[in-house]
Amino acid sequence: MERNKLSRRHFIQMSAFGVGSLLLFPQCSPQLRKSSWRFFSVEEAFLMDTIVEQIIPTDEWMGARDAGVTNFIDKQLVGPYVRFQEKYRNGLSAIQSSCHILFRKPFEELSWDEQTGFLKMMETGKLSQTLESRDPSQKGEKIWENNFDRSFFNLVCDHTMQGFYGSPRHGGNKDYVSYRMIGLDYPFTIGQNRYKS
Amino acid sequence: MKKILFTTLLVLAILFIVGALSFGSFYAYWNTASPDRTCASCHEISSSVKSFSGSSHQKMHCKECHGTALSNGLHSLKEKGMMVVNHIREERVEDIRMNESQVLNVMENCVRCHASEYANWKSGGHSATYKDIFLDVTHNQTEQLNFDCLRCHGMFFEGTTADVVEPINTQGPWKLKDPKKAGQPAIPCLACHQVHADGAIAQAPDYSKPASIFYQRTDSVSKVSFYDRHEKEHIRSEMLPKLKLFEGEYQVPVSEDPLMRNCTQCHAPNGWHQAGTSDDRTPRGVHQGLSCTSCHEPHSNNARNSCVKCHPAISNCKLDVTTMNTTYANPKSPNNIHWVSCKDCHKNQKSKIGNEK
Repeated sequence: MERNKLSRRHFIQMSAFGVGSLLLFPQCSPQLRKSSWRFFSVEEAFLMDTIVEQIIPTDEWMGARDAGVTNFIDKQLVGPYVRFQEKYRNGLSAIQSSCHILFRKPFEELSWDEQTGFLKMMETGKLSQTLESRDPSQKGEKIWENNFDRSFFNLVCDHTMQGFYGSPRHGGNKDYVSYRMIGLDYPFTIGQNRYKS
Repeated sequence: MKKILFTTLLVLAILFIVGALSFGSFYAYWNTASPDRTCASCHEISSSVKSFSGSSHQKMHCKECHGTALSNGLHSLKEKGMMVVNHIREERVEDIRMNESQVLNVMENCVRCHASEYANWKSGGHSATYKDIFLDVTHNQTEQLNFDCLRCHGMFFEGTTADVVEPINTQGPWKLKDPKKAGQPAIPCLACHQVHADGAIAQAPDYSKPASIFYQRTDSVSKVSFYDRHEKEHIRSEMLPKLKLFEGEYQVPVSEDPLMRNCTQCHAPNGWHQAGTSDDRTPRGVHQGLSCTSCHEPHSNNARNSCVKCHPAISNCKLDVTTMNTTYANPKSPNNIHWVSCKDCHKNQKSKIGNEK
């Protein structure tokens, strides 16, 4: 009982925080936020949507984009997957740089087949073998070091699967789409024993 | 000396008045402005406000269901204060959930508008309290209390069955760990309803299109959702799995009614989905394919007078169906109304219904 008591110091601390924060409320206005995402910028999130849709495309069931896989990855990147933040920032930037070199346009503007072809190059590690930066200050430097293209593709692919097939509570698998697609009844329908069985 | 005292008191009084006016104005603004400008300012609440804005309750204000920052006294203030503290500490709280006492507080506000539904619920079996469910001696002696009880009873309780009742055995005597829970409803409104679920506000029909008034009328999504304790979220009834039910190897046709999927989440057969096992009451026999809601009222679960909805006063057998030898007329009848078949009475005649041979 004693433990649940609000101490005077705690009360004053909370009141000070509370009153002080009221002044900061306008900063929380949605219009002033740079991105509605937690980690990704708006551009990065758009790119992620395009990539994950390539990995699990829409057919008669919604694909990874509509199932909220980008939301899942974004949510995990500020939580348990915080260690992958740098990889995502560098990886997404490298994808756009590579697309500008190869196609002179960003990944999202490539045709479906071009996108698939590009991701296949990533998957097989071909980009790290060939592409060099065109930035004069980094001339000769590779955009994808040490097979990063391959490892980053695998990372995104793994996270896409987790987001699409995992529980919706983690941010993906909207409306249990993957469960319904594979015919997994959820929540499980099972009654109490009710004495006889 | 007197002058200093007077000045100090005056300054304090002015400060108090200014403070009270500022706080009062802010509080009044907070409780009347659009949730987009107030509650949604907190990132943690914005997703709830977003879902609410597409619901059939969208014209209401948050405080009408959730109360104000002061309506629960210091408890609310402490809670809101901790939200700010957690926010500043960057301890991300993605999905804010109501605890059980908040769910019950919201329920009290449901009653203000849905008095008739509440009265019906109160008169039916789903208004059972913690005492009714967890201190049922016959049940506890026959089937041991276990972790899964809370899936359908006390689904908002934060803890395990062992935190609700003791001892966990079939000997008893049983008592609630928190005696205050005895009178609390174990299946509150939010067990089957999600206030923030997608839904349109009811509108008068378009009289220029008579067909849309009746047979071409399109309803919005269903008003029923099942609260899944494991996921800590509601699942719309049409997204719930349709029950697959078997009599041996024969698959029993089950109604397509999405509302029934809510019922079968709890009134379900065993893990093999064999008809009539566990708490399964899916209509079979002559009532095969009917939904629970074909006979039971949604809130009171009352099924009295349900026969007349479908049956003529005198049946094809030239008998009044309400007086036939079924559990409808007599609870002790061997012919359960949920699965009574033609063969139960016409033993030597062939039947073409369901699995009857």
